Amino acid sequence: MTRNRPWTIALVALAAVSLVACDSLPGRPREADRYRLPSEILDFASLYDLRCAGCHGADGSLGPARNLNDPLYIAYAGHTAIRSVIANGVPGTAMPSFLDSTGGPLTAAQVDALADGIVRKWGQPARYAAAALPPSSQAASVTGDPQRGAEAFETACAHCHGSGGTGGPEAGSVVNSAFLNLVSDRSLRTTVVVGRRDLGMPGFDGYVKGRNLTPQEVSDIVAWLVAQRSEFPGQPYAAGPTLGTGAEKGKGRD
Amino acid sequence: MKLKTLGDWFEKRLQLEPLYRNSAGHAIPRSSASWWYVFGSATLICFVLQIVTGICLALVYVPAADEAWNSLEYLNYQQTFGWFLRAVHYWGSNFMVALMTIHMLQVFLFGAYKYPREFTWVIGCVLFLCTLGLAFTGQVMRFDQDAYWGLGIGASIMGRIPFIGNDLVYLVLGGPIIAGETLSRFFGLHVFVLPGLVILFVVVHLRLVLKTGINDYPIAGKPVDLDHYDEEYEALIEKEGIPFFPDGVDKDVIFGALVISGVLACAALFGPAGPNGPPNPTLIDTVPRPDFYFLSLFAVFALLPAYTETFVIVYLLPVAVVALFAIPFVSRAGEKHPSRRPGAVVGVLMIMTILSTLAYLGLSSPWSPHMDAWTRDPVPVAMVKGRSPLALQGAAVLQGKQCRNCHSLDGIGGQRGPDLSDVAARLTNDQLIRQVLQGGGNMPAYGHNLSPSEVTALVAFLGTLKPAGEPDAANAAQRVLIQ
Repeated sequence: MTRNRPWTIALVALAAVSLVACDSLPGRPREADRYRLPSEILDFASLYDLRCAGCHGADGSLGPARNLNDPLYIAYAGHTAIRSVIANGVPGTAMPSFLDSTGGPLTAAQVDALADGIVRKWGQPARYAAAALPPSSQAASVTGDPQRGAEAFETACAHCHGSGGTGGPEAGSVVNSAFLNLVSDRSLRTTVVVGRRDLGMPGFDGYVKGRNLTPQEVSDIVAWLVAQRSEFPGQPYAAGPTLGTGAEKGKGRD
Repeated sequence: MKLKTLGDWFEKRLQLEPLYRNSAGHAIPRSSASWWYVFGSATLICFVLQIVTGICLALVYVPAADEAWNSLEYLNYQQTFGWFLRAVHYWGSNFMVALMTIHMLQVFLFGAYKYPREFTWVIGCVLFLCTLGLAFTGQVMRFDQDAYWGLGIGASIMGRIPFIGNDLVYLVLGGPIIAGETLSRFFGLHVFVLPGLVILFVVVHLRLVLKTGINDYPIAGKPVDLDHYDEEYEALIEKEGIPFFPDGVDKDVIFGALVISGVLACAALFGPAGPNGPPNPTLIDTVPRPDFYFLSLFAVFALLPAYTETFVIVYLLPVAVVALFAIPFVSRAGEKHPSRRPGAVVGVLMIMTILSTLAYLGLSSPWSPHMDAWTRDPVPVAMVKGRSPLALQGAAVLQGKQCRNCHSLDGIGGQRGPDLSDVAARLTNDQLIRQVLQGGGNMPAYGHNLSPSEVTALVAFLGTLKPAGEPDAANAAQRVLIQ
């Protein structure tokens, strides 16, 4: 019998190993595969990929809507405003409301998870102190003057957006009536201050060589942009004597 | 010596020897001990596997609407090897349906349904329907969103039957809606009624195989002659008959072992199916799909024009089933070999091509919008870089107004409408504006849902979408002007 003992031990060991191995077979459902109700998803990555990536880009940048992976933007806007925009959207723009009580698909906890995640993942509070930035709200700031704004625009913005903002070699028109109609005053201000650095538009500290835009200049530029809004925005063809004759064909493309 | 005495004692009372001689030991033509003849027995082996694993599952499964889903989760995540048991039962069912289909195709192509085996074919068709019934009711046992919506489709099919439709739905669902009694009824069907019927008809099927003899391997140019077939078959058995057991069984055993290994391997590698979300109709984030054997039907129902639905479902499908049963009575005699029956071969190829194309369509279901594409699928980076502020707003409108749910960019997004990646090379600005405002060609009109600014921005973005080097689309007048 002693002769067989090694075999017995080997067999028992093999059985034990295969039992353990069976438990880690590729087909075994993992805890991560377990079905979760849409309202139970609370991890930032899943929520962001499912609800935000479409407009704000796969990793928070290079989407049509504002890049969120910008520490300057996060320091400037602040957690409260970010959460509020996620929850309530921005009426009149493409940003919908996501909180369930406003008709959106997310619970309050999920909106919190998103706002917290954006600030935690992409914010760098040590790098940008909110006090050093222009104030984030137009109302709290110095009143803007459109006349001065036009001059400030020529200094700070025209080298990309063209004189008068009608579009230049580097960037398109910012006075297009449809564009101005689709963005809020606040978002104009945010973009002037923090730029779209993923698309090459610098923030308030990069427009004029050697100095930052002053809060007054920011307010002035925004006031000028707001003053360019049109009463009948978004008409594909300029109104005029040729309207409807077909002579404008093909010219509506921006 | 003692063993033999014991054996004789039992044999004297049970008298199994004649039974053995007439069943396992019966003679078959040497030519039928072929690799082509293993699919029937393999289907039966799958059925036995389903019974064994089914009994084990029934020990844990709770056939109650509020508990069924939880008991599946329990099997998947808590019960040791519960997931494997579920996986074997699931893959066993897939293998059973697949092997049964191959068996039917083989029998059809080899002309094995012809005289004198017409009734064997008929019983086989009954078994085919019972197996599909088991598959459908089994899908209901996995009481999740697929089950719920699958039941919904099943009920609305039944509801179309004239006069008795509503009562039938009430009877099958156990009430006007899918609820606790529905699951009890389908549990009864899946666990008692249908397996019982399968066992009964398998017995008849096997009895017929034994009594009419296994089909001799078809030979081109040797048609079935109604007057002489029986004598010829007897002569063949006389000349080259071998006992099924042990001489003719080896290939069945080997193939059966391969099938079981295949089921176990699939179960270990791919695991069980679902359960996906609980069967709660208020959960709208769901994309229910039937199991693979019903995907082609699913596609047919999705693609049928509405006015043909009742006609196809209530009249055409039953006609197709009757036609399946009628095959051996339409074609009783004549050539068996597929090389002499081009119509049969082409028919099989056509049907299989249609079914697999439909199944592929059912799986990808391009007609269903991707309901979360608008927030989930990013706009391709190349379509964002270098765009004007207006075009970027247009891209946000495209996402925000959920155009993406039906239209893909670079192949990602909904498949219901055309991909928009090259739309500027196809449509002029005016055509784009008209299409967005008025819709057309399956697309709804969005004129009432978009402001002029949104349309302008959207069209500005779409106007940038064309492959490099491709000219802008131009209408006839513009082309004249360009020249």
